[in-house]
Parts: sequence; C-alpha cells; structure tokens
Amino acid sequence: MKILIEREPLMNSIQNVMKAISSKTTIPILSGIKLEANDQGVKLTGSNSDITIESIIPVEEDGIVNIHEMVPGQIVVQAKFLPEIIRKLPDHQVEINVDSDLNLQIKSGHAEFKLNGQDAEEYPQLPVLQTDNSFDLQIDLLKMLIRQTNFAVSVSETRPILTGVHLKLENDLLELVATDSHRLASRKITMNDSEQLTFNNVVIPGKSLSELNKILDETQETIQVSVTDNQILFRTKNLYFLSRLLDGNYPETSRLIPNQSKTVVKVDSKELIESIDRASLLAKDNRNNIVKLVTKGQNTLQITSHSPEVGQVEETLETDSIEGEDLKISFNAKYMIDALKAIDSDQVSINFTGAMRPFVIRPEEDDEQILQLITPVRTY
Amino acid sequence: MTSWIELKDSQPVAVKMLQNSITRDRIAHAYLFHGPSGTGKHEASLLFAMRYFCENKQIDSAEPCYECISCKRIQSGNHPDLHWIEPDGQSIKKEQIEYLQKEFTYTGLESNQKVYVVRQAEKMTVNAANRLLKFLEEPSQETVAILMTEHIGQMLDTIVSRCQRIQFHSLSDHHLYTRLVDQGLPESTSKLFASMKLNVDQAIEMNGDEWFAEARKIVVQLMDKVMNSSEEGYLFLHQVYLKHFQGRESLEYGLELLLMWFQDIISLHLDKRDSIVLVDQFERLEQFHYVVSLSEAKTLIYEILNTKRKLAQNVHPTLAMEYLILQLQR
Repeated sequence: MKILIEREPLMNSIQNVMKAISSKTTIPILSGIKLEANDQGVKLTGSNSDITIESIIPVEEDGIVNIHEMVPGQIVVQAKFLPEIIRKLPDHQVEINVDSDLNLQIKSGHAEFKLNGQDAEEYPQLPVLQTDNSFDLQIDLLKMLIRQTNFAVSVSETRPILTGVHLKLENDLLELVATDSHRLASRKITMNDSEQLTFNNVVIPGKSLSELNKILDETQETIQVSVTDNQILFRTKNLYFLSRLLDGNYPETSRLIPNQSKTVVKVDSKELIESIDRASLLAKDNRNNIVKLVTKGQNTLQITSHSPEVGQVEETLETDSIEGEDLKISFNAKYMIDALKAIDSDQVSINFTGAMRPFVIRPEEDDEQILQLITPVRTY
Repeated sequence: MTSWIELKDSQPVAVKMLQNSITRDRIAHAYLFHGPSGTGKHEASLLFAMRYFCENKQIDSAEPCYECISCKRIQSGNHPDLHWIEPDGQSIKKEQIEYLQKEFTYTGLESNQKVYVVRQAEKMTVNAANRLLKFLEEPSQETVAILMTEHIGQMLDTIVSRCQRIQFHSLSDHHLYTRLVDQGLPESTSKLFASMKLNVDQAIEMNGDEWFAEARKIVVQLMDKVMNSSEEGYLFLHQVYLKHFQGRESLEYGLELLLMWFQDIISLHLDKRDSIVLVDQFERLEQFHYVVSLSEAKTLIYEILNTKRKLAQNVHPTLAMEYLILQLQR
C-alpha cells in the first residue's frame, strides 16, 4: 500500500476516528486505527467495539485534490502515536508506505517515521451496508430527535434495555421512545420517502447517541440511517457512524400514555421552567428534588417546595387556562425541567389524570408529535 | 494449534461430549470445564470458540477450518465477539463482571453470536458470581459461556448447577511422558516430571531450572549416604541438604524426589521394570534394593508421606527432616 496525501484532511479524519478509540480495550487490535486505501479514497476506521467511526478522504473533493498517489492496501496502526506524528510533520504532504511485512513508513519533508503495523485482516469485520434497509433524515432534525429523547434513558443497569432509545418505523411514521420507568420521552415524525420500510425493537444505546450528537455538526445536509440485525449505521458523505444495538425486547410503552385527562393546564413554558427551577433550589439537597404544584382559582398555579432543614418556597404562576378538576400533585423538579426544555415550545399544555397518575406534557400547538410523560411522587 | 483429534488422545470423554454437542447442534448455553491445570481446558475452549465462529464450518464435523479470518483472529486474541475474563490479581473483580454484564446486553459486533470465557472461575468473588448467575439463568440466544476452573469445589453450587459440566481428567503418566519427550526434554527427565504430574509448561520451566538440577544431584548424594551404614546422612542433611532446600515448596520437591527413589526400589523388588522412573540411576537402584527389603521400603514410604504431612502442619522443617533421615539411615 502506498499513499501520498495532504496532511490537513488526513489530520481531520484521524481526529474524527479517534473519538471512537478507547485506551482501555480488551481486544488488542482495537487500540489501532485501520487505514484502507481503495479506488474511492482513503478510509480510516476507529472503534471501541460499542461504536465505530469510519472517515473517508475522497481522492478529490470540490476540485481540491486530497490524494496524489495511491496503491490500494490496508493496515492497522497504533492509534496512540499516529495523531501526534501526523500533526507534527513538517510538510503539508504525507507519504505513507506499507511493505509486505506490515512495516509502515511515514515520510514528510525530511522527516521519516517507521512504525510497526498490524494485519488489517485481524480488524473486526463491519456489516456490509444494505441500502434498501435505510432512510434519510436531515442532520439537524436527527440531532433534535436525539436531544428530545436521549436525556430520558435510564442510567441504572438494572434494566439494561432501558439504557437505550427505542426506534420504530411503521406506516411512514418514525417513533423514538426513551424511558427510565419514572419518565418517558417520545417523539414521532412523519417520513415521506421511507418506501414502506418497517422495523421495530431497534434499541440504540443512549451513550452511542450522545456520542453521535457530539460528532455531527448542525447542518441541513441529509444523513442516511441503515439498520441491520446487530448494528445501526448513520452515514453522512464522508463519515460513517456505527453503533451496536441493545439486545432484548423493549417494553410496550404506548399503553402507559393516558388518553384522557381530568385537568388540563396551559402555561407559558419559560415561566414554568423558571419558577420550578426556583422552587427546586431548596429541594435539591433533598434526595428526590420534589416540588409541589397546586391549582388555585383564577387560572393560577401555586408551586411550593419545602425542605425541613432549610426552609420553604412558595410561588404563584399565572397560566393561560386551567380546565377540569382541582389538583395537588408532587413531582421531581429535574424531570419536569428536562421535559420542558426538550419540548422547546413557548406554550405547553399539561394533562393531569389525578395526583397518583402520570401526567403528559405536550406543546400547545399539537402538530409537533412530541410527548413527555412524568410519574408523580407520592407525598401525602 | 492443537486439534480436537490431538486433544482427544488425552481427553477422550470431554472431547467426545463437546464434539457431539457441536455436531448434533445441541450446544448448551453454559459449560463448566473443570480439571487440573495443563489438561487442555484452554485448548478446548479455543477450539470450541473457533468452531462456533468459523466461517467454513462443516455441519458433520466439529473441527474448525483454522484458516478463515475468524479462526485466525481467535488464535491471535482479536475476535471482537469472543470475550476473555481472567482474574485481575487475586480475584475476578466487580468491574470485570460489570463489563461482562454490559456486553451481555449489547448485540454482537459482527453477528449475534457471542462467546464468553471465564478463566479460573473459582476466583470470582461471591458478589461477582451472583451477578453472573443472572446471565446464566436467562441466556440470550446464540450466546455461550465457558467457565474454566481447577477447583470445582470452590464454585458456587448455584453456578455449577446451571452449567453443563465437562470434566478434564489429569493426564496419565505415559501420556504426559510422550508429550514431554515431544517437547524435546531428555527421556529420564521427562519420566521424572511425568510421575510428578507437572504440566507441560511447568515441566519445561523446571527443566531449565538450575536449582532443580542441583536438587536432583543432592538427593542422589543423600541416598548414597543413608544407604551406606558407614556414612552419616544426618551430617549431610545439615551440611548440604537443608542449605539447598529452603522453604516449604522446595522441601516438598525434595520429598517428592525421595519418594520416587523408594517407589522405584519397590518396583524393582516386584520386578516391574517398566514402572521405574529413575532409569538413569538403575545401578544405584539395584544396589539399594539389596539394602532395603520390600517391607522396609514400604515403611519408609509411609515415613516420607508422614513427613510431608508434618510440613503441611507447620512442624519445624529441620526437625521433621532430621527425624526422617534417622528413619532412613541404614
């Protein structure tokens, strides 16, 4: 294998794949970066076995030539040293040579490095893409979907399947659900061109999704999502992101969502967040971070919190409307704030079904198919 | 790389059981390989994993192909869906089991097939073992766990009862002998090590050990002294023997060697020349067997075994050895 490549795009690619590489890995080969040169360009792969990132440097992009010379081949190089070496090379071009004994030679200007490589055959085989099992999304939309659901995944390992976000595509409707059994976040979007593609019970680990969210830039470009038996692939033009899935059956969540309500409160989201945030100041030390919400006459809510050691706080909040029965309910302030922030709408409507039943928060103009469900805390 | 066929020589029952479960497509979700060290547990687990992941497997054969990418990567330890857990220091730590638990909940990297191998599984703390239990109770499809242990008695009953137990027998002397000779050890040494039941790795290490070579010589000298009434074994013990054999483990080796001498004397009395271990010392043996009668030799073996027991009970080593030498002295 031989490549003569511009240093800048190579450095960027290395930085991208380094995000997947972990220093403590049980599989020795995964401490390396796989370099692969073929007709399309140079592909770099890094993996920690949970997530895998592939970055492609095309031979030519937007009229700029990245790769000047190329003889196809592949090799695995120690990831510990490669980024530093490439960064500190003197020249803007890098020449990489690999001989048949897996020795890697990096030349730039008058500097020359010789590194020991490993056989690329040893590297994990990634699933072959099946483009017929995929759909497209806009990157900023995908990032929003992740932001609106991923915060609700469970952090406890007692029910491992809940540490992921459940993905379901049916009748052109894509649904993401995350729950930690105390709260639930769900988001649906209508797909136009999913071509009758359906899948169910695809559970992506929450950690992988936050990693993906970090890597993707906020752009209007599209990202292709493909689902295979054991992996999910997110594919932009020059960056592939693969994640393993969680094994097991995701619980049926649609039954949890109440379809009628006894009390409906419509309120300004920002004001509600701020007042709950204030109330939770005193509750934070307390284990559960509980605030209490009581409906009062004239469309006002009273939000209180008290902690026996510290003191108490009380605030009244004007709402747009309160319909239905009077209500006293307590809940975890953090869950509420998370949910309201995720909804990202000026006006929200909160549907309560009694003090002991979960309540649902939706944006008031209900065209956006987002829903946040929180279970209350029993206090009296 | 050993194949099933080679392994079958030494472990016919275990290999047969594994082969049948593979070819009849009745792979259990968890196996417990137990038996002394050096009996092929590791090789068997490697072979099993290779056959499980092999890309060119034949339905009617339990052999992997040894050549496909999966087989190669298993041998080099790079297969992403084969997980090894080994004791980190004294025990298998909680974090290691947590890692394993996380792996249980993820799908495989390449396919949905996964294999977990836990070496020295008895070193799991009770907490760790109980965490593992949950997986053993509700295995997911296509996942196989292999636990390996030398001390099945130290495993939790609840774990043992959930695994298919495969016993690996300790190798016969003759088998061990041929294996050691194959490793290029001298014949007389191989015979000695085989009767000491060392495994191949230990034997190779011992063979290169100068201390052990010297120990053999000193034991021969000691035998010369105690078998000759005009010599003083007691003095030799203090002047040479105890200086060389210090510490419980080395004293054990010394007694082991002494034991071998008297076993051989008995073999000679009974005219069972095949079972003689110290073939290189045949002349001495012949000479000694006139000095020590069959029944005397038997009594002395009891004395040696008794000394071993005393050492295990923390009797002062010098006193125990002195007593033994006085018994041995003719």
